[in-house]
Amino acid sequence: MMKIATIITLSVLVTSLAQAQSADSLMKTLTDTARIRSVNPTFKSTHIVLSHSTETQKKHDLDLRIRHHFGDIGGEFGSAHTLYGLDVATDLFIGLDYGITDKLTVSIGRSKHDELFNGYLKYKLIEQGGGKNGNMPLNITVLGQMGWIARQPFTTTEFATYANRFSYFLQPIFSRKFSQRLSLQVAPAVLFRKNVVDVRDPDNLLSIGFAGRFKLSKRLSFIADYTLINGLNRPTDLPQQFYNPLGVGLEIETGGHVFSLNFMNSEYIAENSFVADTQKSWKHGGVRFGFTISRNFTLFKSKNKDIQTKIY
Amino acid sequence: MTKLKQLGYLLFGIAIASAPFSSKAQNYIASNIQANLFSSTPVEDIKAQSNKTNGVIVSKTGEVAFQIPIKSFEFGKKLMQEHFNENYLESDKYPVATFKGNIEPNINWAKDGEYTVNVKGTLTVHGESKARTIAGKITLKNGKASVYTSFDVACADHNIEIPTLVFTKIAKVINVKISGTLSPKN
Repeated sequence: MMKIATIITLSVLVTSLAQAQSADSLMKTLTDTARIRSVNPTFKSTHIVLSHSTETQKKHDLDLRIRHHFGDIGGEFGSAHTLYGLDVATDLFIGLDYGITDKLTVSIGRSKHDELFNGYLKYKLIEQGGGKNGNMPLNITVLGQMGWIARQPFTTTEFATYANRFSYFLQPIFSRKFSQRLSLQVAPAVLFRKNVVDVRDPDNLLSIGFAGRFKLSKRLSFIADYTLINGLNRPTDLPQQFYNPLGVGLEIETGGHVFSLNFMNSEYIAENSFVADTQKSWKHGGVRFGFTISRNFTLFKSKNKDIQTKIY
Repeated sequence: MTKLKQLGYLLFGIAIASAPFSSKAQNYIASNIQANLFSSTPVEDIKAQSNKTNGVIVSKTGEVAFQIPIKSFEFGKKLMQEHFNENYLESDKYPVATFKGNIEPNINWAKDGEYTVNVKGTLTVHGESKARTIAGKITLKNGKASVYTSFDVACADHNIEIPTLVFTKIAKVINVKISGTLSPKN
């Protein structure tokens, strides 16, 4: 009798189970769309303070970037006589960055220092949260930047061969967004150059960059980067003292524009210049104020009418 | 084998055989429902679109559920899309918007035709839930159910802050349109 009771109970159960399919269980039969695509951007912009970030331009977006480094705040060249460096521009930079695809960015730019023209290619290899299972832990971007010094030579021997005007900066960049607030980055690099003053200063200069962002609010972040150069393959006892560049700043985003207000010891803006030639220190008043203005333009409108934006 | 035992097995057999029939009332699902956003101010009109919305309807109970992946919305300007995800909807934290509810009163699913319905339920956007009754249209034809609805979502209802700096460009109330065809599934 017990067996029969069990069987009857079971049969009732089977019937009721079949009827109990709910919206929730049905939803589970569909692909879980909650785990779609990568995480939101690790950095707000393609640059941090001095260094590049792992970010690239969005497809068909053109970024007009204007950067300015003022003079020494203190020391011999600073103080009230130069309004704490604001009378001086150690370097100015105007550049255009364009996204050929979401992953590949091309750029041209020109600096006041050395009348340096630079062009770079930047390619995003791996995106955090990307990959087949969406579990990629890092962003990896590679950067190749060429510099061409266009100014007149200071001495008759300076650019004895024309090739000495060119330098090449190669850098793989690794970053990770640890939380909504904190992103960190490491970027080893090598700079190939010819116009070296001291024979003991290596032509192929190694460096390691460290950078980070801490979001103070949705639109305001604290950013910093430090590039370690001295003591890698550059001797620390050169007659001309070089320093490791350190920049800190506040980054303000206003939708379309990104402003950053920075303090740094490096006089120059392009990697090809500041990695090799930073001669000022945070001590002795060598720190300076600088700013970056970045404005993005979408060059090609989508043909899909359902996503077009109309400005009146 | 006793007669009772045989009866038991017979009952069990009937139960299993009849299981599919007892849930004869059709269920409907789709994973490619289209969702459109429209924000309009005197300064700027902004549109976005996604076609990755999941939707299910249990016809027997009139239960309805929709799930929109926030990151699937595409904007004409990629930077706008980035701001939408990072600053407004915070899609790393809240990856989906959902609506779950019941069609009240339920419609006659056996008969083809166009039905105007009210769905009473909960809309969850940006992690904030709000009880809503949303009006829509269900069209039954050839065993498939087409759905269409257009409703407004107030940013403030879901704790979405729009800073004063850009408030002239983004509307306080966003129009949402959902349309798609759900296929039968048992």
